Amino acid sequence: MTRRAALFVLALIVFAVSSPLLAPYEPGRAFRDYLHAPPMRPQLSGVVHPLVLADRLEQRYEADTTRTVPLPWFGAGLDAPVFLLGSDSFGRDVLSRLLYGARTSIGLALMATLGAVTLGALAGAWAGYRGGWIDESVMRVADFVLVLPVIYVVLVLRAVLPLVLPASTVFLLVSWIFVAVGWPFVAKGVRAIVAAERDREYVQAAQSLGAGPARILVHHLIPACAGYLIVQATLLLPAFIIAEATLSFVGLGFPDPVASWGTMLAETANIGSVARFPWTLAPAAAIFAVVLGTNLLTADHDTKNDR
Amino acid sequence: MNRQPRLLLSVLLLGAVAFAGWRWWSGAQERAGNGNETELVISEVNPRGGTLTTSLRSEPRSFNRLVMQAVPTELFSILTQGKLVRVNRSTQEVEPSLAEKWSVSADNLTYTLTLRDGVTWSDGTPFTSADALFSFQAVYDPKAASVLTSGLLINGVPLKVSAPDARTVVVKYPAPFGPGIRLLDNLNIAPKHKLQAALAAGKFAAAWAAGTPIADLVSIGPFMLTRYESGQRLVFDRNPRYWKKDAAGQPLPYLDQVIFEVVPDQNAELVRLQSGQLDMLQQQVRPEDIATLRPLVNQKKLQLLELGVGADADVFFFNLRPAKWAKDPRGAWLQRKEFRQAISHAVDREAFANTVFLGAGVPIWGPVTPGNKNWFSPNVTRYPFSLERARALLTGLGLANRDADEWLEDEKGTEARFSVLTYRGNSSLERSVAVLRDDLKPLGIAVDVSAIEQGALVDRMLGGDFDAIFFVYSASSLDPAMSLDFWLSSGSAHIWNIAQKTPATEWEREIDQLMLKQAATIDEAERKRIFDQVQQIFAANLPALYFVAPRLYMGVSTRVGDVTPSIMRPQLLWDAEHITVRQPAPSKPASQ
Amino acid sequence: MGRYLLRRLGFALLLVFVVSSSALLLTQLAPGDITSDIALGVDAETRERMRVELGLDRPIAVQYWSWLSGVARLDFGRSLLYSRPVTTLLSERALNTAVLATAAILLATLIGLPLGVYSGSRARGLGPAIVRAISVAGLSVPPLVGSLFLVFIAARTGWLPVGGMTSASGVDMAWGAWLADIGSHMPIPVMALALPLAASLERLQSQAIAGANREPFVAASRARGLTQRESIVRHAWPASLRPVLGLYGVMIGSLFSGSFVVEVVTSWPGLGRLMYDALRARDLYLVAGCAASGAVFLALGTLVADVLLAIADPRVRAEGRS
Repeated sequence: MTRRAALFVLALIVFAVSSPLLAPYEPGRAFRDYLHAPPMRPQLSGVVHPLVLADRLEQRYEADTTRTVPLPWFGAGLDAPVFLLGSDSFGRDVLSRLLYGARTSIGLALMATLGAVTLGALAGAWAGYRGGWIDESVMRVADFVLVLPVIYVVLVLRAVLPLVLPASTVFLLVSWIFVAVGWPFVAKGVRAIVAAERDREYVQAAQSLGAGPARILVHHLIPACAGYLIVQATLLLPAFIIAEATLSFVGLGFPDPVASWGTMLAETANIGSVARFPWTLAPAAAIFAVVLGTNLLTADHDTKNDR
Repeated sequence: MNRQPRLLLSVLLLGAVAFAGWRWWSGAQERAGNGNETELVISEVNPRGGTLTTSLRSEPRSFNRLVMQAVPTELFSILTQGKLVRVNRSTQEVEPSLAEKWSVSADNLTYTLTLRDGVTWSDGTPFTSADALFSFQAVYDPKAASVLTSGLLINGVPLKVSAPDARTVVVKYPAPFGPGIRLLDNLNIAPKHKLQAALAAGKFAAAWAAGTPIADLVSIGPFMLTRYESGQRLVFDRNPRYWKKDAAGQPLPYLDQVIFEVVPDQNAELVRLQSGQLDMLQQQVRPEDIATLRPLVNQKKLQLLELGVGADADVFFFNLRPAKWAKDPRGAWLQRKEFRQAISHAVDREAFANTVFLGAGVPIWGPVTPGNKNWFSPNVTRYPFSLERARALLTGLGLANRDADEWLEDEKGTEARFSVLTYRGNSSLERSVAVLRDDLKPLGIAVDVSAIEQGALVDRMLGGDFDAIFFVYSASSLDPAMSLDFWLSSGSAHIWNIAQKTPATEWEREIDQLMLKQAATIDEAERKRIFDQVQQIFAANLPALYFVAPRLYMGVSTRVGDVTPSIMRPQLLWDAEHITVRQPAPSKPASQ
Repeated sequence: MGRYLLRRLGFALLLVFVVSSSALLLTQLAPGDITSDIALGVDAETRERMRVELGLDRPIAVQYWSWLSGVARLDFGRSLLYSRPVTTLLSERALNTAVLATAAILLATLIGLPLGVYSGSRARGLGPAIVRAISVAGLSVPPLVGSLFLVFIAARTGWLPVGGMTSASGVDMAWGAWLADIGSHMPIPVMALALPLAASLERLQSQAIAGANREPFVAASRARGLTQRESIVRHAWPASLRPVLGLYGVMIGSLFSGSFVVEVVTSWPGLGRLMYDALRARDLYLVAGCAASGAVFLALGTLVADVLLAIADPRVRAEGRS
């Protein structure tokens, strides 16, 4: 089961990384005559009926059953676009944006997780190994960050930074903010483990052999926390995906043309339009799937510890 | 041990939910198609009484219209305050209001207004010429920081006002002014007996701030504020001392009560209109929401009023301050009119209207839209959609593709790229910039879009810190002589190059001269002729580009009657005293 | 116990102070201020006069100092956006958020704990397996996704009103009708908030009960002839409470983050929505006040959880005394 859940998450990552290959269209490509086109159902023969605009103001479309176009991966269906998951209010393919969005959202979360785990492990291990006032002050800071209302901190930090930034800068900036609020979760546990391991024989043996603190930390103490770090990473990853979605949802994340799950969801703030175009909720389903996958991983871990 | 069933179950569960959702959704589609039409049972038409419920996006920060021009303050002022004369927003004619009649001297400089007899404020204090004098005094007092000042100056000079007796006000214009008495529509009358002390103490700007006790907010309009629950609602009741009567001699207003619910979110507002919790909104229905409302229109619960083509169109303009481009190599071509003409040629306005307004818009070529019937000039230079002509213009500017990428460069290798700022959360603007970006791409011009908060955008516009902006600017009046701050190069709303000391270009100097002449001319036909000329100069030089003017729709509950829509804000409540509702809500015991 | 609480209180005060100060200073550093909102069509001098009027022309340090001396008198200043004292605004909105949060915690407790006891006390069988599967799925529905989905359902079916806390006709309503009205607006935000909480409570309670069931004294109680139900109610459940109560402190924290987005999605006039609007308008004092009250809520939450823990577990009390 762990393997299955891991495979599931891995598959998502592969999906995300290979989005340019899988996505039928460019994420920013707008088909102006197909705003809010509904998902098209492929026929058994692997073709779809193209849509024809029935009413522009009401955004109604009808399938033209007299014509067929191939699926976008097979052959150039240039005369009519194919939307397997419908299109958004700009006429952009939801499926393509979902795939490109996975790259942004999962990529950001992975990077932030990596940063938070690394920073947390180093800070925690250092505090636990040194003890004394270093330990005290690092842990006080960590405690402090832990009790901060996280989303408000992120909001304030993001809101006071200039809003007009290129997507790559936003990516770095947001991941740094996430690292800043995420590391204490890791640091506290690592500190506890390291403080306990510090006095074990193998550490003392390494010390007596002349190993410096850096070497002991990296080669002995941090590896002792490996299991804990993996669990923490699987907890942080979904939290960061949700945080990105929240930020972009309220307009403090990525700017519009960038496809991320949060920017896509921002469109669903219009309740009337969600009710009519439920396919725009697709990123919410994607978030659910990823979080479910990581939860299965950790739930499984808990069960193992349990029994 | 029990892991296997768990995975299985979660998958099954997911599948079941997904399937149920799909079935129910496709079912709903069919149901929507059938559309069971329930006729509303309409009780006997009762023009008097009842409550109208509408909404406000934000709360008033001040009730003092003389120092605040935000929407909530304007609505408060329309419902509870008065003017000497008012412009009928529907017919655009000047009507008597607190002044029942007026006369003009032969030189068109002196207006003598006779105030209505027996008008009192809602606390019983009589309204006299002293209130009018006081209002002028407050508007012109620099310490009061009034937002109305610039609208009541002629060539920068204040009007001279005197009051020979309690019912007469004499206004002397420093120079002849085309709109004439219409100018006084800009003056909101303030109650002297309530605000005099604040003005004398130099605290007028803080008077009638949001925390003011309601009893102090005396009314001279059809309604008066009787309850204000912050964050929730403002309740206005009929002002029993309102002076106006209808044609049959019945006292106005017809409504007993107007309630403004504070709904900060546009989408939530729409949902409340749909569910019948709101009778009307304060702004037009977005084109993408029309389909959402259509079923309610079919069920006769809602009426969709088509107001026609709006007077305000979204505007796209470059920063034309020479200082901005002094050190920027892009200035060499970005400031040229040929560059703007090329952009105008590159935008297919029909397709633009289809994408941005879902077809509910008309192509335009200047700031005056067909919605402004008196002043619109159809004979200005137009830039038909043509990529060839756009390319030719760009080549003329020395822009060509000199390297491997898809963008053009000038002779020095600077890329043809600029950034556009727009309001965040405004769906038509966000779509507009996306369309513009897509339309300029095949030409090889790169556009970076930033959607930011309204406040931040205006800040950067005033500071000149932008390449280009795409936003909506609402003129306060349809008469060009009353929106000189837009037309004159020294104006505070001359958006592409605000408040110039001397005109930066020859054509701006020309427009300045023509507009001043236009404003000083009394003859309407002559004013129209001059303004046509101004519009042509504008179209030839394109300091700002206009693509499409939207058609405006208002969603109003079918229980509301006798509305006279206007394309100017507030579209319906400008004439609140004549609005009626059917089926007055059964009166419930008031909860304290 | 007293000293322990005192220390926690001191920490909470420090937290509130640091959070609100840094929010204030950060917002002050950000570009733009409240007058940007009304700047178009107003000439530069008028705008400058407004700045002076609002005290925004003073140096940051002076503004901060005058704010601080106000805070010492529990005066958080006036909101520039609403022209009202920040304290009154906060108390109104905080109440709304508290209503939401309390309802969500109650609902989560009522659903999560019994189901956790049920699934934890049986190792196998279809019932517990279903409960577990639903829990894992529920854990995976963050409030953002949950509220969007519920709003979608409500908008589609019209079962529940969408958006806001009361109907527009909320004025002149009898108390009963008013309560019913609020009640009909609550299910969507409350369910969106409570679902992941209930799921995590169920999971934790289930594991805790399973652990307690293996304790010798629980097994002994069974040997004394108590039925399974009696032994769970009397022995296993009380023993399993400690980790569950510990979770409540964490829950209040996550409720706060969660309620922000739920408030935005469902237009609930709470603290999160207020803070968001204040940030957008650069309303300094209101941002600081919101941050402060957020911190107060969190500190209170952890304090309550600590006290509960102390009551449930004598060891903590002893620790505090030593």
